[in-house]
Amino acid sequence: MRTLIKLSPLLIPFCVLFLGGMVLAVAQSLGFFAPLEAEGGLFAAYSRLLEPPFLRSFGFSLYVALVSALVSVGLGSVLAYGVWKLPASLQKTATLYKVPLILPHIAVAFMILVFWTKSGVFASLAFHVGLIDSAGEFPSVLYSGNGLGMILAYVYKETPFVILLALAMLKRLDPRLIQTAVMFGASRPRIFISVVLPHLKPVLHTTFIILFLYSFGAFDIPFLLGESSPAMVSIEAYNLYFQRDLSNRPAAMAMLVVMFLFAALFIGIYARVVSRMEMRERKL
Amino acid sequence: MDCRVIGLSKSLGGKPVLDNVGFSAGSGELVSIIGPSGVGKTTLLMILAGLESADSGAIEYDPQPSKDQPAILVFQDYLLFPNLTVFENTAFGLRARKLPRKEIKDRVSHILGYFHLQDKMRSYPNQLSAGQKQRVAIARAMVVNPGLLLLDEPFANLDRNLKLETAEFIRATQQEFGITTISVTHDLTEAFVMSDKIGIMLGGKLVQFGPAGEVYSEPATFEAAKFLGPVNVITPSLCRALNLAEAPIPDNCGTMYSRPEAVRIQADPQGVGVISQVNFAGHYICYTVAVEQDTLLVYSLHDGYSPGDRVDIQILKYLTSQRDQS
Repeated sequence: MRTLIKLSPLLIPFCVLFLGGMVLAVAQSLGFFAPLEAEGGLFAAYSRLLEPPFLRSFGFSLYVALVSALVSVGLGSVLAYGVWKLPASLQKTATLYKVPLILPHIAVAFMILVFWTKSGVFASLAFHVGLIDSAGEFPSVLYSGNGLGMILAYVYKETPFVILLALAMLKRLDPRLIQTAVMFGASRPRIFISVVLPHLKPVLHTTFIILFLYSFGAFDIPFLLGESSPAMVSIEAYNLYFQRDLSNRPAAMAMLVVMFLFAALFIGIYARVVSRMEMRERKL
Repeated sequence: MDCRVIGLSKSLGGKPVLDNVGFSAGSGELVSIIGPSGVGKTTLLMILAGLESADSGAIEYDPQPSKDQPAILVFQDYLLFPNLTVFENTAFGLRARKLPRKEIKDRVSHILGYFHLQDKMRSYPNQLSAGQKQRVAIARAMVVNPGLLLLDEPFANLDRNLKLETAEFIRATQQEFGITTISVTHDLTEAFVMSDKIGIMLGGKLVQFGPAGEVYSEPATFEAAKFLGPVNVITPSLCRALNLAEAPIPDNCGTMYSRPEAVRIQADPQGVGVISQVNFAGHYICYTVAVEQDTLLVYSLHDGYSPGDRVDIQILKYLTSQRDQS
């Protein structure tokens, strides 16, 4: 009891805001406390989520989240190793990589807009150096249905986060392990794959989960850079809740509940798979 | 591979670490550089391995180290790749050479068999004892057929009873594979057991280099002699007390001394020495004997003396060295 009292500054906000919100979302998704009386039974809202538009939206969100998290983790770990290997005199200059960390996501989204639209900076540059004859010839990076704009924004924003965490881990890597690998004639890719990556593995797993789930459920970047069809699930939920009639609110809540359950399930399965892989490695 | 080190010097932060170090290791020889901690032994190995560069001097190899015959340094803490099994650690250099899978398997299995590590093939480094880790590190080096094997403090992390056994094993392995080996260590007994030649490094300088027996019995300087073990300085007053008038005490800057094991004591009520301290040191007894104003250290197998006993003293062997002028 005394422990519970001591933990109350943490437990009370958690229970009221998170659990309270969750309970309300689940209740509304089931038709309770909804602004309009729900029709079609208890799980009507959930059955709407099995319709093709939502499934497409879910699949598209998975694809954007997976690609941006994978590219960020891959790029970030290589760049972190590069920064780690820099001479001490250049290490301070390399902290420039942190700049995107302090930029809000919305600012990054605007940067992507400014640079990559058909009337953006790169299109203009390409026109002026004669690579294209008109702005219309510039490749459709944004709004082309493949989520490239969002992926670019996420990679730009998330790669420094990976570098930050990977660098902290690399500080614990004995540089003589690299020297040993060099002595044995290992190439740079082999050193990275055989020595550096295994050392970074724990932090990369955690970072991947964080970035994947963030990109999967985030709203701001998809709001500016996302397509309308298929839309990211966060946008779909927003539209259902605010943009259409009140009868859609249970479906919007059902989406949010499914997103939460997916995140929890994803973490559980990911952790289990990683732990099994590591167990198998140990048993080899 | 022959290795000749010529006038190697290096400073770190303005402080000289190596000062004009020169020696040579012939093909198939095992050379040990001994010295206290912090005299630049590891820096010397790092330079020999090509991992650091010297400020001046040169290293001549014949033939030059190559991917087929590299110079491999086995670090003091072995530095096995923690995420790789014993098999994969040992195969690392062969995989880097992109050898066929079957050849890698055969060569690794053979070397691990030689090092008695077959049953540890699938173990990870954190599942091995210090001795096993060391064997894996040496096996990993040996399997790539190095031209020069460099061992940094090979006995530092081993239990005392394992050190001598390891020294004999390193010697036997080095002779079996015929690999030129340079080891740096501060474990004197092990260095003497396994080495063809010994170099003594003090204060960044190689003060003596030669065959193991010669270095021990004829130290080049008094400081080198002191590093190799306790010495009794034979002073003129001690000579008079022991009636050693004819003893050849150098009259210049030299010093005459003897090792504690070269001094014999015998119970004698009229003896000139008085036992002042008795220390049990395991396989011998260490006596401190007062002779007028001097003291002598004596190692003996006989444990029958007690403080206050009078003894006769006989010095069996004298050594004479110049004092280090630096």
